[in-house]
Amino acid sequence: MTTIPTEALAREEGAPSATDGAPPPGRVWRALLTDRGAALSAAYILLIVLMALFAPLIVKVSGWGPYEFDQTAIDPDLAGTPIGGWGGAGGEHWFGVEPGNGRDIFARIVYGARASMLIAISATVLTTLLGVVFGLLAGFFGGRVDWVISRVMDFLMAFPALIFMIAILSALPAGNRATLLVVVISLFGWPYLARVVRGQTMTLAQREFVEAARASGASRTAIVFREILPNLRSTIIVLTTLAVPGYIGTEAGLSFLGVGVVPPTPSWGQMIASSVNWYSVVPTYFAIPGVFLFLLVLSFTVLGDRLRAVLDREGAR
Amino acid sequence: MSGATSEPLLRVEELTVTFDGPRGDVDVVRELSFALEPGGSLGIVGESGSGKSMTSLAVLGLLPAGARRTGRISLSGRELTALTERQLRRVRGDRVAMVFQDPLSSLNPYYTVGAQIAEAYRAHRQRATRREARRVAVEAMERVHIDDAARRVDHYPHQFSGGMRQRVMIAMALCTEPDLLIADEPTTALDVTVQAQILRLLTEVRAETGAGLVLITHDLAVVSEMTDEVLVMRQGECVERATAERLFSDPRHPYTRALLDAVPRLDDEVGELRSVDEGGAR
Amino acid sequence: MARFLVSRLAGVVLILLLVCLFTFGVFFVLSPDPAVQICGKNCTPELIERIRDNLGLDEPLLTQFLTFVSGLFAGRTYGVGESATHCAAPCLGYSFQSSQPVWEMITDRLPVSVTVAVGAAVLWLLVGVVGGLVGALKRGTWWDRSAMVVALAGISIPNYVFALLLQYVLVVELEWLPFPQAVPFSEDPTRWFQNYLMPWIVLAFAYASVYARLTRANVIDTLEENYVRTARAKGLPGRLVIRRHALRPALTPVVTIFGMDFAGLLGGALITETVFGLNGVGKMTADSIARNDQPVIMGVTLLAAAFVVVGNVVVDLVYTALDPRVRVRSA
Repeated sequence: MTTIPTEALAREEGAPSATDGAPPPGRVWRALLTDRGAALSAAYILLIVLMALFAPLIVKVSGWGPYEFDQTAIDPDLAGTPIGGWGGAGGEHWFGVEPGNGRDIFARIVYGARASMLIAISATVLTTLLGVVFGLLAGFFGGRVDWVISRVMDFLMAFPALIFMIAILSALPAGNRATLLVVVISLFGWPYLARVVRGQTMTLAQREFVEAARASGASRTAIVFREILPNLRSTIIVLTTLAVPGYIGTEAGLSFLGVGVVPPTPSWGQMIASSVNWYSVVPTYFAIPGVFLFLLVLSFTVLGDRLRAVLDREGAR
Repeated sequence: MSGATSEPLLRVEELTVTFDGPRGDVDVVRELSFALEPGGSLGIVGESGSGKSMTSLAVLGLLPAGARRTGRISLSGRELTALTERQLRRVRGDRVAMVFQDPLSSLNPYYTVGAQIAEAYRAHRQRATRREARRVAVEAMERVHIDDAARRVDHYPHQFSGGMRQRVMIAMALCTEPDLLIADEPTTALDVTVQAQILRLLTEVRAETGAGLVLITHDLAVVSEMTDEVLVMRQGECVERATAERLFSDPRHPYTRALLDAVPRLDDEVGELRSVDEGGAR
Repeated sequence: MARFLVSRLAGVVLILLLVCLFTFGVFFVLSPDPAVQICGKNCTPELIERIRDNLGLDEPLLTQFLTFVSGLFAGRTYGVGESATHCAAPCLGYSFQSSQPVWEMITDRLPVSVTVAVGAAVLWLLVGVVGGLVGALKRGTWWDRSAMVVALAGISIPNYVFALLLQYVLVVELEWLPFPQAVPFSEDPTRWFQNYLMPWIVLAFAYASVYARLTRANVIDTLEENYVRTARAKGLPGRLVIRRHALRPALTPVVTIFGMDFAGLLGGALITETVFGLNGVGKMTADSIARNDQPVIMGVTLLAAAFVVVGNVVVDLVYTALDPRVRVRSA
């Protein structure tokens, strides 16, 4: 959300229109895997997830931990510029070292993936939960419940979210920043999903099969969980996939601004922030985390786009 | 009316419309031929997907992207398939006008109905002034019995009821005095009472202008009242062609019989329903 | 129409009050004691007491909040007697760091931010809408595909990464542009322009990408509308069909979204200004975050919220003017 204009994007990313039940997952998977863009994106995301999961192991193989300073890799006479071309990259330090302190960039990228994925996934789970629950409540019960939830959503969406996140995060004590980040991101993120879920629930609630379930005496809970929710599956999957890159960008952006993940814990955004003063001397310092971040956001966006296209196509059958 | 009297107004010969689908080509209209004399009327009947709408769009080269057309279509002896887009444009809306199924989505919500009627007029009368075009629009609206036309000409489509919108569409089609009117399901999106009024209006304006009519519908009851001749289509092909009278008294094709059996008869009620006023603006 | 306006304005006031309450709550209730922070390193208990007294920190929270809100509209006076300072409306308090009035700090830096925002907005509207149009009208061609690939990159690259990349390529490697350095327009227009060029491009890139995708999708959808078919059936020339019947419906939503995005730029330009060292409101905010200068952050937050909320109303009004369906209903 820091780098992406939320307003336009939120309106652009329409949900798949199909509400007549989700197409079989098997067919969707096959369609996605035969799509080169989607397959490559999925592969890259998987790589980053594995990297995050096995960070300690990977770092053991590469030889340097994320918090170790290698004074021999930097030149004290040149204000700590890494020795050797490409930011000191080579057999010892695969991606080179950080100027000034000699920490291994590869190790910090691997550990940075943890911060990115952990926060993005947690925020996604929480946002989805909030968005689906409130969207269903508002759409299914209507009336006063809908009024209250809708006003809260209007209120949250009228906020300049980024500035507010910064304000809150900078005011609150550093403490557990990761949790705070997740809470703050989700707080401002759920209305975008809830709005769509609400609309589709309202349409679904009028449909024949829901009427039939109601007439046959099914409880409200049963109707919501057995009739409505399964039909929202495509919508939720697509919107969620498309929201992930926003959260990754937000985490990185907030860390870049110094209100995100607290050093020395590495995060890609924070690495880029500390590279600002070095960009002309050691371009690899910003380029490496930049490329990792760019590809991750790109992969989720492409995957979301393709997923929506596939679900639209399959749903139309 | 122009053109030699010996030539039919519209002649369609071996028209085929093909869509390139994901699993190869699909013919939605196959080798269809028919002719319409000047001032005559023809009904094309069939279920949805029978290719009847595509036939009407093919005449004016308005097929959607991905559709191809072969065969010959001539208007008063002039071959339309050989025309350039520019030449074809001069035929559209001028000599041949169309009325579509859903008047709400067929009118642009951003412009007043007057502007949209005037636009149709000015597209073919380059020298017409704005004022003149507006006068034509008001007259056309009066002709289709829209009350208070001078004021309503400045209203937007959403301010009209369904039936009134279809009257606007008809006014738009009429303002250039076309020789042929193609009406594609003109009453399907309307209430039953309003349907009868619109059909009566179509009959009335044809009597006034002498324009030919191609009426596309799924409703046999409609064609029985409106057209001299009927063409029954199924899966892109013509299964039966006959005068309206004969088709109802002596349907030859089993499909036509099946269609006829499915029609609820309301012949006589229509007359009574006509007196119901549809109530102008919302 | 009048009733519509009044109800909208009431909504605006309500939201702004809520925003005030929210910000106030975050900064004065949740955060560490401001008095200690203002006091700084050489602090004595007496000094802290004086500051607390001056800022009215011992008053009940509600009183503090009301004083704060009334300060926004009527100004307020800190302290009593000789040491009293009057803060004129709209009073957002004083910076902990520089002791300057926050309102003054913001207005001083606003011209830079407005320059960044306006330049970028012009650029992104132009590039985005034209790119999207070309994509839609030349669908499936080489033009369309490359425009959409660029747009995909544009929404995926974080703008600070793009900023550094651009700066590295244009300034360090190619030496097409000099190092960014603030120069007033009156002194050296060329240099001024060069200085703003990169911030404009960086800020515009992501927005232009989104607008290109949005425009393309809208135009493609609109071209399939029945009324476009009607326009063709009338015999209108192709160009007129597109210009009159496809573009207006397709671009109206873009115009309204543009209003929202532009109003939100105060927040959006934060990173761009920081990276390029432009002394605007955004950079000031980033610096204040680093120094924990809460009155400044709070002032900017309030102002940004006001921009967005007012922007919302303006967008509604514009939309009403552009879309007859809405206009007539609310009349």
